[in-house]
Amino acid sequence: MLWLQLTITGLQTGALYALTAVGFSLIFGTTRVFHFAHGAAFVLAAYVFYWADQAGLGIAVGVILAALAAMAFGVAMDRIVYAPIQRHEGSFFTVFVASFGVGIAVQNIVGMVFGRSFVTINTPLSNSVELMSGVYVAPLTWIAIFCVAVFFGALQLFLRRTHTGVALRALADSPELIRVFGLDPRRISAAAFALGSLLVVPGAVITALGSGLNPALGSHVMLISLAATIVGGIGSINGVLVAGFVLGLAENLSQIFVQSQWSEAVTFAILFLVILLKPAGLFGRIQAR
Amino acid sequence: MEAYLLNLGVLIAIYAILAITLNFIMGYAGIFSLAHAVFFGIGAYVAAVVSMHVSASIFVTMPAAMLAAAVLSLALALPALRVRGEYFVAASLGLQMFAVTVFSEWKSFTGGLGGLVGIPAVKIFGQEVYRPASFFPIALAVLAAVVAITQILVRSSFGRSLTAIRDSESAAEGFGKNVPLIKTISVVISAALAATAGVLYAGYMSFINVESFTLDNSVLIMAMVIIGGTGTSWGPVVGAALLLLLPGLLSYLSFLPQADIGAIQQIIYGLGMAALMIFRPGGLVRRGSPQRKARPKAAPTRAKRGAVQ
Repeated sequence: MLWLQLTITGLQTGALYALTAVGFSLIFGTTRVFHFAHGAAFVLAAYVFYWADQAGLGIAVGVILAALAAMAFGVAMDRIVYAPIQRHEGSFFTVFVASFGVGIAVQNIVGMVFGRSFVTINTPLSNSVELMSGVYVAPLTWIAIFCVAVFFGALQLFLRRTHTGVALRALADSPELIRVFGLDPRRISAAAFALGSLLVVPGAVITALGSGLNPALGSHVMLISLAATIVGGIGSINGVLVAGFVLGLAENLSQIFVQSQWSEAVTFAILFLVILLKPAGLFGRIQAR
Repeated sequence: MEAYLLNLGVLIAIYAILAITLNFIMGYAGIFSLAHAVFFGIGAYVAAVVSMHVSASIFVTMPAAMLAAAVLSLALALPALRVRGEYFVAASLGLQMFAVTVFSEWKSFTGGLGGLVGIPAVKIFGQEVYRPASFFPIALAVLAAVVAITQILVRSSFGRSLTAIRDSESAAEGFGKNVPLIKTISVVISAALAATAGVLYAGYMSFINVESFTLDNSVLIMAMVIIGGTGTSWGPVVGAALLLLLPGLLSYLSFLPQADIGAIQQIIYGLGMAALMIFRPGGLVRRGSPQRKARPKAAPTRAKRGAVQ
């Protein structure tokens, strides 16, 4: 029954990866900003939720505060850091280094405020229930998968049905044409950062309730987001969904063959091979020149 | 105090080698690698294992480490030939993360998370070099050799081919340059020279583990290059010295709470990096030749928003 257990754990990991990565994928796909500090938005949201829980404000207030913190951080990054760099045509790496720097600062600020050790919120949701003999599932697994369905569905509807959503997709295709249509690319970019940062909240809350938080979580979150985005194909929301599950399942099912310490290497081996063999990703358009 | 300065000097020399070799592919060939610490690590591990089991002579460890790094760097050259921009960065990142797992899990070779302890001192002509007073000149000599090699290469026709590829790959190809070969050679040279820093590091510290060869370190090296000035001769050295001196200087600020000094250093380092990219993205050292100055900042077009596709 090992493989079934690993499949279920893999589905939970995958759901979490998909939820984590979709925000970065949206931001990167539309604005082409390599928003490495996305992991910092995740950590901020998770710790604000944790703080609200410790302060006894309840889950709903915690989620709202976490959402506000993540969105404020994302929009501030766009305005204060990325906009000035792009104004003088900063190269991709200039943006990356600036973003990485902010990520380091946030990690250490969070560490100073909340301490550097692991914290977790105790909840019955993370207690495993025996589904059948030898196979354990925590209710959080179902919540994660449910969140994936809701958030990906809502995001697809938003991108197709609303004015802002269509504008976001247009920004990905051609920033020049956006201006021709009388829209302001900066405002659409801000919308991409607000929405993309908002999307860290479900993943951050589930992580806070489940495996727990530490301030250094951000860079892991970021690496997974990047891997899922590229494996899925830059700019493809369905791609990131599939890639999230592929990576989650691969990481867990690989434990049948190798020791669990190697499971993270599996993710990055997949990333490396996909870039070598099919750079456009599973669902991407041909973009790698 | 003198020991402290000498120690700092050795570390600056080691990191200057890393920054110079990264600048060689980043600034001149336009290959933005986030896996440079991997070759630092390969050099250090190979030198450590060779000196523990075969010979501690620098004339044995150095070639062995350089050879190993050169061969393994083909793993980085491969994606460099296939993809560019974000895709190559992601590939190098994948390689970096994979290598960290190998460094920390391949216990029989790397000693696992605990690392390798008791690496013998570097020997030159049978003479053991005790650290750090006598080690500093050796580190400087290796640094000088690396500077000389990269400067000669950059100023030769090979270097001009590299900059041609950086500025326009198709134009270079149109002029009959063998682009894949030139790119591969540049990656191999950069990795082999980076391994010399690893040899020095292993011999100097006499203890190594995966902590020194992680993604954070790759980014630190990259930050040294960018902060100093990408594509300049002395920028990487300035960047390396600055980033290594910063923590020491900050600990003199006595009004900072001592318990949080490490975190505060990191916050200043992070925010400083961001601020520098906003206000002085070209780095501290400007590019030398006049026609360079007239051009816009380093290769902006590739990563311009929406310009890929």
